[in-house]
Amino acid sequence: MEKVGIVGYNQVKLHSDANYGRYEMIFEAVRGAIDMAGLKKKDISTVISCTNDYYDGRTISNCFTVEVGGGYMADESKVEMDGAHAVLYGLMRILSGNHKLAVVWGGSMPSCFPYHSTRLYETDPTWERPLGYVNDITSSGFQMRSYMEKYGVSSEEIAAVAVKNRKNAVKNPLALAEAQNSNIDIEKVLSSGIYADPVTELMVAQPCDGVAALLLAPERQALKITDNPVWITGVGYSQDAYYLGDRNLYESKSMEIAAKTAFESAGISDPKNEINVAEIFEAYAHEELILSEAIGLADKGKGASINSEINGDISINPSGGAISGNPPCATGLIRIIEAAKQLRGEANGYQVNNAKKAVASGQIGMCAQNNILFVLEGGN
Amino acid sequence: MSEDKVIVANKGMVRADFNFWVGRYLDKFYDNLENKKVIGNKCPKCSAVFVPPRKICGKCNVVIPLEENWVDLPDTGTVVNYTITPYRVNDRTHRKAKNLLLGMVQIDGSDTSIIYRLLNIDPSDVKTGMKVKIEWAEKTKGDPSDIKGFVTF
Repeated sequence: MEKVGIVGYNQVKLHSDANYGRYEMIFEAVRGAIDMAGLKKKDISTVISCTNDYYDGRTISNCFTVEVGGGYMADESKVEMDGAHAVLYGLMRILSGNHKLAVVWGGSMPSCFPYHSTRLYETDPTWERPLGYVNDITSSGFQMRSYMEKYGVSSEEIAAVAVKNRKNAVKNPLALAEAQNSNIDIEKVLSSGIYADPVTELMVAQPCDGVAALLLAPERQALKITDNPVWITGVGYSQDAYYLGDRNLYESKSMEIAAKTAFESAGISDPKNEINVAEIFEAYAHEELILSEAIGLADKGKGASINSEINGDISINPSGGAISGNPPCATGLIRIIEAAKQLRGEANGYQVNNAKKAVASGQIGMCAQNNILFVLEGGN
Repeated sequence: MSEDKVIVANKGMVRADFNFWVGRYLDKFYDNLENKKVIGNKCPKCSAVFVPPRKICGKCNVVIPLEENWVDLPDTGTVVNYTITPYRVNDRTHRKAKNLLLGMVQIDGSDTSIIYRLLNIDPSDVKTGMKVKIEWAEKTKGDPSDIKGFVTF
């Protein structure tokens, strides 16, 4: 694959109830990324956004974000999935050879809409939706139980992921304040109240308000913009069946396929030893284990037994991951930004030593139905 | 939203109700549910039996003909997974006093599972592998609510 570089990024501070509007938040994120790269509005040749019509409360909702997202009189399009999928679209626009700079941004503001009701709209209106039993809350419980029973993993081992990510979040100044907790322990996670048994409240990546933006450029252009680009060397993308009852929830076949594709493209044959940092979109603590196993960072059912602390065997979610704040449509994009920060040596306070190669993932759908994985490498 | 939010809350003032045609496969399924019968259909290639029935096997990418491959199934099955939640789906601000116990139940003779309430089971007694059967609604209507839930027997 031709080299495409990440040449700028920006993310707003995450809030459970931001005291300003979407419009301002999008501008803050996008303009910040452009300023970071020392560029101007006229340098933008394509804009790919990621939002959701239900979340924005209007159809073709990118029509209202044209000005703030940098898309005025520019080539512009939208992805209605995760922000990481918008990065794939932006990457394809660059690889088409027609564009020198792509702005990719994503985010939303669930303090202003009934998030779980909109998630119910993912289900089949002719079968599951009328009863409301299948939704993002209950599906998380099914997924965690399936994983625990298949591999004999304990709820303590899964709670430990929430502890690690909430402690890592303390070092991440952009994390959601409610997610940052230096006094947390496994007992507190387990006793935080049933969300969907066996998932407890503190195992959940809380949906919150936030927007993030990323700039992509082809190799030659990237080297003109920055001395410190991060290269996208591989990407893979796959999706599982629609109905939950058709799937094996204890594993992620779609992530396995996504990872295989991404690693083939990046020339990585031994991810356990070649990858230094993984930023994984875990909507719940157990998903970090399921997805890191699918990526090949741990053996099946053994995700909990590797040291995934900062500078452990493989540093997984040093930023705190999605548990540090989960703004719908931005979370996967933030994972890519956090991986890029690690490779540029800019993760102040949670920097992984000698980070050379990283993976970052995005997902969408019940129980991570649809997964995307990027391989990123630093250095010019 | 917090009280000090500076933006003006706007209710939107739009209501958009949708009608969905369930399609010929689910139509036949619901007609059978109304008569308290479960049917599935079988992929002609991989022989997977689907409940609810469907037109396409996603794995094989083949059409399951509408007039063929129907399978009559019993009203019994196995709990393959379960969860318990205090939340109504559209309201996470209030925990309900009575938890909802849901099971993923694989109907005997099928390869997929369906999600319904487990009715006469205490949440502390529920286990995967339990045998259960359908508790039908008193008055069936030809829709998903005809299956009231599953009970042990």
